[in-house]
This record gives sequence, C-alpha cells and structure tokens, in this order.
Amino acid sequence: MSGKSSRRSRVVRTSAIKETVADLKKTLEEYWVLFSGNMLGVTGLLMLGIFVIIAVAAPYLAPYGEWEMGVCKPFEPPSSIHLFGCDELGRDLFTLFLYGTRVSLIVGIVAALISTMIGGTIGIVAGYTGGKIDSLLMRITDTFLSIPAIVLMIILAALLGPSFINIIIVIAILTWPPIARIVRSQVLSVKEYPYIEAARAVGAGSLRIMSKHILPNVMPILFANMILQISNAIIAEAALSFLGLGDPHTTSWGMILHYAHVSGAIAAGYWWYVIPPGLGILFLVLSFVLIGYALDEIVNPRLRRA
Amino acid sequence: MPGDPTAILLLNPRIPPETRLLLRERLGLDEPLHLQYFIFIKNFFMGEFGYSFHYGRPVTEIILSRKMFNTITLVGSSVVLAIVIALLMALIAARRRGSRSDAGLLVFSLATYSMPVFWLGMLLLLAFSVHLGLFPLGGTISATKVHESTLDYISDYLWHMTLPLIALVLIQIGYNFLIMRNTLIDISMEDYVTVAHAKGLPEKIVMRKYVLRNAMLPFVTIVALQLAGIFTGAVLTETIFSWDGLGLLLYEAVTTRDYPLLQGLFMLIASAFLVANYIADILYAILDPRVRYR
Repeated sequence: MSGKSSRRSRVVRTSAIKETVADLKKTLEEYWVLFSGNMLGVTGLLMLGIFVIIAVAAPYLAPYGEWEMGVCKPFEPPSSIHLFGCDELGRDLFTLFLYGTRVSLIVGIVAALISTMIGGTIGIVAGYTGGKIDSLLMRITDTFLSIPAIVLMIILAALLGPSFINIIIVIAILTWPPIARIVRSQVLSVKEYPYIEAARAVGAGSLRIMSKHILPNVMPILFANMILQISNAIIAEAALSFLGLGDPHTTSWGMILHYAHVSGAIAAGYWWYVIPPGLGILFLVLSFVLIGYALDEIVNPRLRRA
Repeated sequence: MPGDPTAILLLNPRIPPETRLLLRERLGLDEPLHLQYFIFIKNFFMGEFGYSFHYGRPVTEIILSRKMFNTITLVGSSVVLAIVIALLMALIAARRRGSRSDAGLLVFSLATYSMPVFWLGMLLLLAFSVHLGLFPLGGTISATKVHESTLDYISDYLWHMTLPLIALVLIQIGYNFLIMRNTLIDISMEDYVTVAHAKGLPEKIVMRKYVLRNAMLPFVTIVALQLAGIFTGAVLTETIFSWDGLGLLLYEAVTTRDYPLLQGLFMLIASAFLVANYIADILYAILDPRVRYR
C-alpha cells in the first residue's frame, strides 16, 4: 500500500519535473528566437565564444609558459615567431595575452555573480518589506552610490593587499548598488499583483513569497543586468591591475598594461606592448555589453519593439 | 605594507624601532582605532582636517590649490564638451533612426563605452606624442620653458590639456549618447509630437520646442549621477598623463597611506556629489513646470 502510493507520488513528481523542464525549455526557446533575431546580441555571443575558447585552451595555444623569461630580447618587436613581440623581461607577449583572458573572464563573471546576488537580495528585501527596512537599505545603497566606486576600490584593494580573491571581493562589494535600485523598483510593481496577495492569503511567509514568487519575476532583469555588470567588473579589474593593485602572481590584461606603463614602453613607442591587451579588454567588454543590451531588450517590455 | 604608513621604516634596519614608535605617536596612530575615529569626527566639525602625513602641510592647503583648479578645468570642460557632442550625435541618430549613420554612431559609442580610459590615454600618447610628436608626454605646463606672456602660458596649458581632455570626453560620449538617443526617440513617439508635425510645424521648431525641451529632464539626471563616475575617469586619466590634479593626488595618497589627505579628498568628493544632485533638483523645477517643491 505504502509502496504503491510512494510510487504514484514519484510518478506525479517526475511528471511535474518533466513539465517544469518543458516549460523552461519553451521559455528559453522563446527567448532564443527573440535573441537570435538581434544581430548585435548574436555578434556579442560569438565574440564571447572565441574568448572562452582562448581562456580554456590557453596552455595549449600558448607557445611558451606563462612565466618563461628570456625567450626573446627585451622589447623585441612583433615577428612571425613572437606574434605580439616581447616585454622588458623577454617574455612572449602573445603568451601573456592568452593567459590574460582567463583572469579577466573569471574575475568578471565571479565578481558580477556575487554583486548581483547582494544587489538582488537587498533590492527584493527592500522592495517587498517596505517601511523602515526599505529606507535603511536604500540609504545604505545611496551612500555607496555617492562615492566613486573606483576610489573605494583603490583604497580597499591597497589595504587588503594584492590577491586574486581580494580583487573579486572588492569589485563585488562595491558594484551592487545600481542592481539593488533596479530590482527594488521592479519588485515594487510585482508585489502588487493579485497572486502575491493570494499567496499571502494562503499563509505563505515573507521568505517564501520573496523566494518563490518575487524572485522568478525579477530573474530576467537580474540576469540581463548581471551580464552588463560583468563588463563593469572586467573594466574595474583592469583599472585596479593597471594601478598596480592586482595580484602579481597572475597575468591579466590590466597587469600587462601596468608593466607597459611602468617600464616606459609608451615613451619609447613600443606600440605592440600596449595595443593587444587593450583590444582584448575592449572586445571582451563589448561582447558582454552587446549580449546584455540584447537581453535587456527582450526582458524589458518597455524596450521591446512590436 | 597594508594599512600602516610607518611600516616603510621597517625596511631600513638602521632606523631604531623607537623612531617608528615616536612617529606613530606624532601621527596619532598609537591611539585605538575607535578613538582615532572620534578624534577625526571632532576635528571635522571644528573645520580641522589635519596635516598630511606625506607632505607635512595642512590638508586644506594641499587640496585647495592649483591641483583643484587643474582638475576642475580638465573635468569641467570634458563634461561640457561630452554633453554637446553627444547631443549633436543623438540628434542625428534619432532623426534617422535605423539608418546607416545611426548604426555607425551606435557602434562607435558602444566601442568607446567599452574602452578602459587608461588604455585610450596610452593610445593617444603613443600616436600623438611619441610617433607624431604633436603633444607633450604629460604634465600640466612645460617646466623648463619661460613664458613670455599670460597668453603664452594659457596656450602652453591648453596644449598640455588636449590629450587628457580628448580621452575624458571620448569615454563619456558613449554613455551620454546612448541615453540621449533613447530619450529623444521615446519622446518623438509621444502624441503631442505627432500633433506638432500634423500642424505642419517645421522640423526645427518641433525638435527644439517639443522634443528637446522635454528631453532636458533625463539629461540633467544623467549628468548629475555621472559625476561620481567622471571622477573615476579623472583618477586614471590624471595618472596616465601625469596631470597635476586631485585624481593623481588621491592615487598618491593611497599609495603612501596618507589618511588625513584621503579623508579630506573623500569629504570633497562626497560634497561635490551632494551639491551636483542639489543643483539638479533645482534645475528640474526650472526646466519642467510640472515639478513643484513645497
């Protein structure tokens, strides 16, 4: 008897899961149709794909090791052997460029993920609870917004010391305020929907309503903004590394530019030292911006064209 | 040496530890942290910002000097130029929405928006200073040159300012353009604009009196909100071009752990932000008769 009922409930559960998966697939397919119609968005996705391949395959693509010095003369110009030339320590700049992709991608994505989670949580709680908690959270958000993030980043990064993890933390805890604002304004309208009232009438607690009913509704906007946030995080990492606050044990594009600046490569006119890492940042950021705007146009009904 | 500005003394073994302790006492760093904070608050309300650890001069004297003038000149003119240029671009793009020039301007602004300002600065230096030799490599004025007249001095100053100004303007244009273009397009679709067209008003009048007038509000908001971001750009730009301003000063204050100077700079930045928002609020009321403050 009990075995039978549990089997039935399992059948019910699996069919429910199947339904959810099918629903999700359908939504994703709908989004994909909209997204693939957006030429800029697809371009961004292709560009991102190339960068991901470079990042994953860096050790196989790179002709030299990340820390291999003296493989060529200091500041050797580009040639068929050293595509991007060499730095002041005789390291192959092409190799450094390939490895730099990894740091930018990882820092960008992880920092944006954390900052979206912080911003999302604060936005939802502030928007849903309202009242004093809302005012308090929003004043904190305003305080963060009113100080130039990079200034705080420079100070925090300098005080915490240069490390890969610290850079991610510093960027994450200083870039969430805009997300909190956007999510809060969205939540304010979502919470007035009848089904939220219905959920409350059935006796659902605040935590349940926020996580089960409000979160799914702000999810698309949250996701689109996270993608845009990644581009901000990549630029922030590059800026911090450029100022010499990055992790000296990793190679990033900002770090290459830092060494170019410090070693006097600009005054000497060594353009090959400066141009590739900057183009890397530019195109990686651009790919996320393009994807982000395409997504924003899909999930933000005000921007959707009929 | 995270945190402690006197830690640098540890590098030299010939300096006795007593010297460091004495220095810590003189700088007020031997007090417990919370006490240091209360002392800071008290001094702040008495208008006393303390002495810079690094320069040994009063913080207010260091900040309110040529450095402030240099930063305001550079950042201020970049903001104005970026607004004017972006507005002209947005007018072209919005009028021919979907055309080739619209797409071109969009791609251009997205590209400049995605560019790190310090890299842009490096490129400008490489191209115009090193290869073409048209502009100086950095600084605000030619140190060795004897200026014969005020005009000579001003032209030398502007000559030094050109490249940093271009860099700062270019990174602001992208964002300004995107917002302005979308606002203009939004407003062009309003019913009252259609009515104005239907009345047979010339395009120029419709643009100026109907569309632009109503677009002013969002423009003011972005400019006010952008101020914090522009200062970020100023820190990096001034570092690259060794422009002797507050941005460079801030970077140096961080690297030397000059706390009083940092506190002073923070106060200045925060108040600048507050003042900008206050001015924006007043401008709303002037620009839009619907906005009323009681």
